Amino acid sequence: MIATAIILTGIGSYAMRAFFIFALARYAFPPLFLRALEYVAPTVMAALVISMLTTPEGELAAGLPELLGLVCAAFAAKTTGNHILALIAGMGTFWLIGAII
Amino acid sequence: MGRFFAAYPLHVRDINGAMNSAPTRHALRGSLDALPLFIPALPFAFVFGVVVAEAGIPEWLGWSSSPIIFGGAIQVTLFTLIGEGASVAAAVSAALIVGARHMFYSVTLAPRFQHQPGWFRWVGAYVLIDQVFVLSQIKRIDDPVAFRRYFLSAGFTFWTLWMISTALGVVLGPAIPTEWGVEFAAPVLFVSLMMAASERQDKLAAAAMAMGVTYLLASLPNRAGILIAVIVSVFVMLLATRKKST
Repeated sequence: MIATAIILTGIGSYAMRAFFIFALARYAFPPLFLRALEYVAPTVMAALVISMLTTPEGELAAGLPELLGLVCAAFAAKTTGNHILALIAGMGTFWLIGAII
Repeated sequence: MGRFFAAYPLHVRDINGAMNSAPTRHALRGSLDALPLFIPALPFAFVFGVVVAEAGIPEWLGWSSSPIIFGGAIQVTLFTLIGEGASVAAAVSAALIVGARHMFYSVTLAPRFQHQPGWFRWVGAYVLIDQVFVLSQIKRIDDPVAFRRYFLSAGFTFWTLWMISTALGVVLGPAIPTEWGVEFAAPVLFVSLMMAASERQDKLAAAAMAMGVTYLLASLPNRAGILIAVIVSVFVMLLATRKKST
């Protein structure tokens, strides 16, 4: 039963990843469509961040340490373009503010 | 060539030699870019191990989902629901809704994959996860061969590390103490990726809007709010930027 669930989920998640790559392999994308696709990466990343910080009931599960940590990480990412520095800035702020409060 | 010498440490250049440096460079770059992105996945692999143990699933069977599914959030959702006694149909469909954002990645990369051979479409789709997708969007490599090397190298670096760390996760269980809040590394990394993917003001506006809509829809089951937030934000931004240009 569990093996069936794993295999079905594996087939499903591969199909979702492969579907449009194959379905649109010969499609001539109009400029408006290509412009829309440029917004996919920023919006999905943004939505993932919020979904990680909210409970399934829809409540915000983040306090001041989390919010300040994310602001510092965003600032570090924007100024340095380096994800390791952003991680250090974000986690450092989060731990520091958490220890103070 | 000057840029190549400037960007890499001496020993790399010595090993590869200068003549075949360009192909090797993109493969190496893909692996190096994937490494820091894996940091938050490491505590998540141990969360996965705990979920497998709590669901009462044998370690090897739980781990087999790593190569078969290859998607952390999808795997954790599936086993959480199985552990709660959900039916196969309910657990599988919830896991697939959580993973449905990969369809956006598939659409977005479809134009790039048009210039690729058939085998790469099959293999590339298998490693098309959040981090590999966003790297491919941030890097914007135009040459098809370089793109392919970069994509596969980043994808399979991540794949290898996920296979190893989930194996450790199911064997060791809760080896990383959660009271340090190391899971917070995941939203921190994704904020960093969001900023890297938003090099233009309109993209940053789209990201801010997606954050707001996701928050408003956060109570929807299986994180379906993510899907709606992306569609709404992309649509609104298209309308907004269209007005500006005319």
